[in-house]
Amino acid sequence: MTIDFIHALQSEWLKRKRSLGAWLVIAGAFFTPTVVIVARLVRHSRLPALYSADAFWTLLWRSSWQSMAIFFLPVAAILATSLVTQIEYRNNAWKQVHALPLSPATIFFSKFAVIILMMAQFVVLFDVGIYLSALIPYLLISGVPYPTDPLPLRLFSGQTLLYFVDCLPIAAAQYLLSLRFRNFLVPIGAGFLMWIGALSALSWKFGFVIPYTYSMLDYLKDDPAGKAVIPNVNIHLVALAYFLLFTFGGYCLFLFKGEKG
Amino acid sequence: MTYCLETTNIVHKYSDDVVLDGISLQVPCGSIYGFLGPNGAGKTTTLRLVLGLLRKQQGAISVFGKCFDTHRIEILRQVGSLIESPSVYEHLTATENLSLLQKVYQVPRARIGEVLEVVGLSQTGRKKAGQFSLGMKQRLGIAATLLHRPSLLILDEPTNGLDPNGIIEIRDLLIELNAREGMTIVISSHLLSEIEKLVTHAGIICKGRMMFQGTLAELKKKERQAGSVAVSTNDDARALEVLREDGVGASMVNGEIVMPAMSNERIAGINRRLIEKGLDVHKLSAMEDDLEAIFMNMVRG
Repeated sequence: MTIDFIHALQSEWLKRKRSLGAWLVIAGAFFTPTVVIVARLVRHSRLPALYSADAFWTLLWRSSWQSMAIFFLPVAAILATSLVTQIEYRNNAWKQVHALPLSPATIFFSKFAVIILMMAQFVVLFDVGIYLSALIPYLLISGVPYPTDPLPLRLFSGQTLLYFVDCLPIAAAQYLLSLRFRNFLVPIGAGFLMWIGALSALSWKFGFVIPYTYSMLDYLKDDPAGKAVIPNVNIHLVALAYFLLFTFGGYCLFLFKGEKG
Repeated sequence: MTYCLETTNIVHKYSDDVVLDGISLQVPCGSIYGFLGPNGAGKTTTLRLVLGLLRKQQGAISVFGKCFDTHRIEILRQVGSLIESPSVYEHLTATENLSLLQKVYQVPRARIGEVLEVVGLSQTGRKKAGQFSLGMKQRLGIAATLLHRPSLLILDEPTNGLDPNGIIEIRDLLIELNAREGMTIVISSHLLSEIEKLVTHAGIICKGRMMFQGTLAELKKKERQAGSVAVSTNDDARALEVLREDGVGASMVNGEIVMPAMSNERIAGINRRLIEKGLDVHKLSAMEDDLEAIFMNMVRG
């Protein structure tokens, strides 16, 4: 990693400031925890029993991650990637970026690194939101005890990391599409089609070949109802393989583009 | 002569459409080079090729005596560019827009305030660039090109969207930068009148071909050589017929007959001929083309 990459990354990180993508990450990460807090405050009479339960944190974790793994994480990866790339198109700024004294690799990977950092920020903020969704009702409602069940921090951190890995192929595929098509609707439309395709393919034994399925499969692998066919392969490794493939494809496309900006 | 920017026989095609046909630019170091041509002549395509924004198909480009292909990053460190409309991030302030570049160029942060002062945007504060007028965005674009004190400034129609006062301010700024910092400036325009007070050298391009390249003095010499002769008679239509019968390339321009430049003897001969044909000659005078007329003649072929 060269010093130019660090400088380019700082520059790219500043670009996302106050952008729609940056707001989406924050709003999306706190949406489900906010719904949980509101629901708990409304049904506050049930909270003392709930907070005394043995598996309090695991139940909260599972219920919170349901919407995240199935909907918010893939959709956030689709939208955030497309929105970050769209900043350059909308402001007619690709030509300025390409006229900077930076190698194509530095330009490509610094922007992609910002997208990946935003996705990391998304899952970490979501975890913080889950914790707050437990803490806030406890602080606001009298008679609600602090959960006696110890917080399995290491387990949750490990699962968060795997969910993050699961969304990487989506980010890489969307980055490739966003670099290829100037029209914002193309990557967004393709992303949503892939997401719907992934949902439909969950019960198919080869559904795991669709690179948008991994966060869903990861969540549903412990689902007693068996809503998805869980493949006998390590889906996180498959996700990483797709991530590398799409990243390489996106870089080649970026490098050999005839007209830049 | 040392050229700051030199292209050799650049050819560029979109499908089968040849948009640049053997463009050889030679921009001397320390000059202000006006790159002129009508819309669609190939100015922007040439400048985009020079900056590596288009993949080169044929020819060679060297900047500061170095091949662009092999020294791209080194060259771009010393080049500031503004191609077509300015690249301004509308959700950021003017200072934030320049901060993005300051991080890449690693210039002192104080330089941001300096260039904003130079272009008259130092008072914009927390106002987002999206709320700027077109002229303000253009100034911000110019500030971005100056941030890292480049040795070569490439500006593609930089006065688009500026009011007359803004155009004069930018012109004065460029003259000052050239004189004070020795900055070489390439400025494209489709209006000669807009940049003739600014440039030391000019290149004229039309339909992808260079029609002229040289100093402003050489262009003005053409002005003198390219003079024409105006005739006015009591029957201009008849006079035009007579002149054409005699093989003189005369035409009606703005209500009077205009002929190509010719010797005094030939002018006297034409006068005699018109009188012999019974026409009253009211006016027979040599006229000099201005630069704009020369430019128009070149681009009209």
